[in-house]
Amino acid sequence: MTGTVDWLRRYGALLRAAWLQDLQYRASIVLWLLWGVTEPAVALGIWWAIAADGPVQGYARADFARYFFALMLVNQLTIAWDSWYLDSWIRDGELNFRLARPIHPAHEAVAENIAYKARTAGMILVVWLIVAAVWPAVRLPFGADRWALTAAAVLLAAALRFFISFATGLLAFWTTRATAIMELHAGISLFLSGRLAPLALLPPAVARVAGFLWFPYMLAFPVDLLTGTVHGAALVQGFVGQVVWLAVWVGAYRLAWTRGLRKYGGVGG
Amino acid sequence: MKLRILAALWRLNVAEELQYRANLVASLLGTIFWIGTALLTLAVFFRHTTRLGDWDYWEVVVLLGVFNTLTGVIEAVLRPGIGRLAGEVKSGGLDLVLAKPVDAQGFVSFRRLDVWRLTDVVLGLALAGYALVRLHHVPTVAQLAAFGLALTAAVVVVYALWVALMSLAFWFVSVENLSVLFDAVYEGARYPVSAYPGALRFVFVYLIPIAWTTTIPASALTGRLEPGFALVAAAVAALAFALTRLLWRTALKRYSGASG
Repeated sequence: MTGTVDWLRRYGALLRAAWLQDLQYRASIVLWLLWGVTEPAVALGIWWAIAADGPVQGYARADFARYFFALMLVNQLTIAWDSWYLDSWIRDGELNFRLARPIHPAHEAVAENIAYKARTAGMILVVWLIVAAVWPAVRLPFGADRWALTAAAVLLAAALRFFISFATGLLAFWTTRATAIMELHAGISLFLSGRLAPLALLPPAVARVAGFLWFPYMLAFPVDLLTGTVHGAALVQGFVGQVVWLAVWVGAYRLAWTRGLRKYGGVGG
Repeated sequence: MKLRILAALWRLNVAEELQYRANLVASLLGTIFWIGTALLTLAVFFRHTTRLGDWDYWEVVVLLGVFNTLTGVIEAVLRPGIGRLAGEVKSGGLDLVLAKPVDAQGFVSFRRLDVWRLTDVVLGLALAGYALVRLHHVPTVAQLAAFGLALTAAVVVVYALWVALMSLAFWFVSVENLSVLFDAVYEGARYPVSAYPGALRFVFVYLIPIAWTTTIPASALTGRLEPGFALVAAAVAALAFALTRLLWRTALKRYSGASG
């Protein structure tokens, strides 16, 4: 048990450090947040116009509003940017300092993730509450069980996106274009993870392909849980999908980490 | 700023970039991927509608072509130039610019040319041209002239937006990612402004003038607008430029240098 206490203490310190560090960059964080919500806001604007003459495959204007507000929140809670950092750390050698510390660099990254998300998601929640006070369309059906399920799905999605980001960032051990691969992944996820539209509105063939990949579990599934559109078998299937893909990406990360470190010479090494 | 200096700067930049020819391929692939993504996005929207803000599919593609053309200008000149301003205001690196015997705004804005990103300009115009073919629309000479003028005005408006947003760095010194603000605003320019709700449309026409960057040139090319309207676009661009010039001067007075 002392091991657990040790880890709690370590994470406490890491979180405090990350939180204080972010405190210096409050204005920057607001800008990143603003940037993060424009894409769903613009998508909502377009669907809002399309749904002017009536529901689109069962999605009325209010459904779109709820979907994209939920998307903004879930996206902020699950976003991972580690691949960009890893890429530059590996190329300019900053990884050396981080490797020299007595704790795996991934733990620092996790702590930074949590601190950043607590701050930004808090801001989105406040804005959402204010908007919901005047605009009933974006209010959510409340149910303790659904919120608990959503919290679990968001946690799994955040872990999934973290490991995807970390593993692709580690590709920088082998190539100087790791960020291009990340861009490619982001481009595909625009469609397959539900950032552009609810998956039900994609061509059925595309939606089917998405079902065989990890993309819907990064965003679409927790969003649908939050807005209350998944039930029964689809709900179970969603959680199974999240756990399976999380295991796959954790495996990919471990492989990339052990193989990559063996290859890594550091700057000047 | 003297054209001779500008030419010398850009010649140096091009010579430097020519060493990295593989970047041309990377840039081309990136642009093609981006255009593909944008077209697929439109395809998803147009599965459920026949018109977007009263524009049909190929008209919106013309607009996408204009968007991509402007993206090329932004990535080739503005982001690598004025996009670095916020960091320099913070670090005091702007001292080195101000000490030079040239106009500071001109130098900061046009000091770099990432020549490979001009592929976006070429591919953007090609995309707009292809969409015109699919529209079976042959622009008249007047429409082409109006497009040329409106597109030039659009470049000026985009430039003015960058200057206005980056000038904020003089007030909010610690914010290094100000350029993100431009990306957030510019995201709205991917679609015709008529697709947005009324209040947002007002904002995009009068307050944050991104309607003038893509909607107006595309409309001029497809004949949605009277060619004479391009003169209004030119006037808007001139006004935007004058205002940001004023803003730049005011902002620069706040700069205290590396020691401040």
